[in-house]
Amino acid sequence: MPRLAPQLLRHARKIDPLLPLLLRPCRDLVSAQNELRWLREHAIKTANNSEKRSRIAGWRTVLRQLVEERTTGKPLQYILGTEYFGDLEIVCYPGVLIPRQETAASVTHLVDLLRQAEDLPSELRVLDLCTGTGCIPLLFQHEFNKARHDKGRLRLLGVDISPIAVRLARYNHMRLSNMRDLQRQERQMFKPGRDNDKKKNIAKPRYSTLDGTEDIGAGDTTEFMSADVLMDPLSDRYEMDAPPFVAEMNFENQPPFWDILISNPPYISPSAFNRTTTHSVRVFEPKLALVPPPSPGKSDEEQGDSFYPRLLTIANQVEAKLVLFEVADLEQAIRVARMARDSDKWDGVEIWRDQPELESDSEDEELQEEFEVVGQGNGRSVLCWRGPATQWLGKPASTIFTRRTPKKVWLLGQELEES
Amino acid sequence: MFGTPWVCRPCLLRALRPLSRRYVQYQTTASAIPDSISPALLSRARAIAAEHDQLSKKLANGFDARAAKKLGEFSAVVNALKEWEKANESLKELNTLIRDPSIDSELRELASNDVIATTEQFAQASHALTTSLVPKDPFENLPCLLEIRPGAGGSEAAIFAGDLLRMYQAYCSREGYRTSMLKYEHAEGFQESLQEAVLEIEFEGAYGRFRCEAGVHRVQRVPATESKGRTHTSAASVLVLPSFPNNGGSVEVEDLDDPDSDYYIDPKDVRTELMRARGAGGQHVNTTDSAVRLTHIPTNIVVSMQDYRSQPKNREKAWQLLRSRLAQARREKREEDMVVMRRNVVGVAKMGRGDKVRTYNWGQQRVTDHRSGLTVHDLDDVMGGGHTLEKVMESVRNWLMERDVETLITIEGDETKNKGKR
Repeated sequence: MPRLAPQLLRHARKIDPLLPLLLRPCRDLVSAQNELRWLREHAIKTANNSEKRSRIAGWRTVLRQLVEERTTGKPLQYILGTEYFGDLEIVCYPGVLIPRQETAASVTHLVDLLRQAEDLPSELRVLDLCTGTGCIPLLFQHEFNKARHDKGRLRLLGVDISPIAVRLARYNHMRLSNMRDLQRQERQMFKPGRDNDKKKNIAKPRYSTLDGTEDIGAGDTTEFMSADVLMDPLSDRYEMDAPPFVAEMNFENQPPFWDILISNPPYISPSAFNRTTTHSVRVFEPKLALVPPPSPGKSDEEQGDSFYPRLLTIANQVEAKLVLFEVADLEQAIRVARMARDSDKWDGVEIWRDQPELESDSEDEELQEEFEVVGQGNGRSVLCWRGPATQWLGKPASTIFTRRTPKKVWLLGQELEES
Repeated sequence: MFGTPWVCRPCLLRALRPLSRRYVQYQTTASAIPDSISPALLSRARAIAAEHDQLSKKLANGFDARAAKKLGEFSAVVNALKEWEKANESLKELNTLIRDPSIDSELRELASNDVIATTEQFAQASHALTTSLVPKDPFENLPCLLEIRPGAGGSEAAIFAGDLLRMYQAYCSREGYRTSMLKYEHAEGFQESLQEAVLEIEFEGAYGRFRCEAGVHRVQRVPATESKGRTHTSAASVLVLPSFPNNGGSVEVEDLDDPDSDYYIDPKDVRTELMRARGAGGQHVNTTDSAVRLTHIPTNIVVSMQDYRSQPKNREKAWQLLRSRLAQARREKREEDMVVMRRNVVGVAKMGRGDKVRTYNWGQQRVTDHRSGLTVHDLDDVMGGGHTLEKVMESVRNWLMERDVETLITIEGDETKNKGKR
């Protein structure tokens, strides 16, 4: 990491004496200023709300403590206690992975695609494995209800191995639904009898509706449970506290079949964990949520990928029509996409980049020969579909695999592996 | 003889003096509009009334949203015209009564008494008709964005900009308007100084109320930064933009998707940049960078927003700001064209950003508005957003209305003249 220029530090000190401290984790002035502002707002808020001691000490003292905490590299999200995931404010604390913007972009885009779908089932079932803060099901529900007012209930289930995460996810669910109730009451108080405007809102472009949460989603069910996704259901070794996924599903009386499977599993290989992750991720975020557990006889790369075969198996068991997995980069995306294609169970596979809603800039054409790559940025997620989901997404019925000759794909694969 | 043996001389003198001159009003703030209405305006009002009749016939056959809207706009003019015609009629009748020699003196006296009241009524009706003919600002019923920036005067100007912001905030909270701070940037140095602030006033009709505030506000005082006690003159600029209500509020505005609207932006023309760190992304980093930058390519207007931690919210606000700025630019351009077209017809003193509109003088505790010419001396109340500020703002609104009426009369008169020549 390059040294911070003394000139920059001097300049920062002139603006605010606390700013040089924040430059250490932030590395640039603009984001340091932003973080200082957010921390100041937070300090003022907590100083007013909290017990007497800190109120006497004043918010400046609180702010100083917060900045010093941040200087150690502790993520701002843990200090402030929340992170924005799409439109939603999600509570997060140490021990649970902080939601990432890229995940929100993928989920939002998926719901945007589903919004045009004609024949969704009357109860759409969405299963999220390795849910963490519960951000994916909660955002899915929020976006889905924002888009569609007409029909369909949602059944959402988030699964995580960590009981802390499950507790937090339940708390987040409760907090968001309370907030939604409050907003609804407020709206009803301020604007009585303006129901005919609702129809107008749907037609408008998405960026003009900030909080389209209407009084819907009442029939939806959102649940979270603790289970181990990776454990083979047939083995009877109980290493962790959590029971295996399938057993727990039966035990909790959950329905056996699900329409959509989303997952943001641990996907960083041990070597990438040491090389590419930032300091604050490595030190402060749970390794359990980042790196898959080691198993004998697996290479570094295989360990990074070890969740995906299991997730694909589960997708087959629950007969998911649509699957969205987050991945680390384009190489892993291609590996996962090949796994899905080689299983011969899917009608189509697609790779999404960081911003899948944007037009893709087609610079690497050889990749597009093998799989469709959508959007801009790094390779971020893999989408597989089959059966009725083909129509939900508006894809042509016969896709990709008939168009692309397997021989060429194989050759290309070899080339990629060599390079 | 007298009840009191001695009265002090000043008291006696004061008793002898006529009523104090202070209470006598020499200037009037009543409008300088003549009682009678210019024939050009009258003919125009009649034309509108004719169109109103046609429209209502058309509406009787079938509903048309656009026609209904237009009808609503016209009805004020039509009502005013009816009032005016009634007053005109009765005035004429009374006059003939008075002049008629065959009528007995008792009735004539009654009539002449009535004339006074009717003349007054007639003047009122004329005034109402003229003001109803003045075209309303199309954005009058919108919430607005108030942008405050320091002008000439260094850190003192920045401090004054902060003062202005607090003044408007206090005013809004006194009037009960909801506000939200869209953007707030500290200047270097003093805590209360301001680099740029955008305040959204979420009250329908806020634009009509605040649009007179736009312009350069001048301050004369001994700044906090001054060590030798000299008075400085600095300035801060205030920009008022109509704000598009998000979530389709109750105010009727032109449709966003309507390409003719000022607010229309083709999404293809806008480049969105998320200023996100390059690198692995995903689980590898936990960045808090939520900045959004929008560039409108045809006009090269750039809006960047990073105040909120939520990226969608930043994007939302950036779009709102971009839309407002673009609409303002388009409107300014159109108005500029109009001014060029009419310059030889009307001597309009163009109210640009260059001219100062108001002076706040701390030494004399005085606030003077240079457009309406009103001077008030309760500076503290003005800076506290109190009733005096409302008084000043109202005077400017009246001034603007009068100016509009003058312009209208001149233009209409000119047009009828031109017609006559042809």
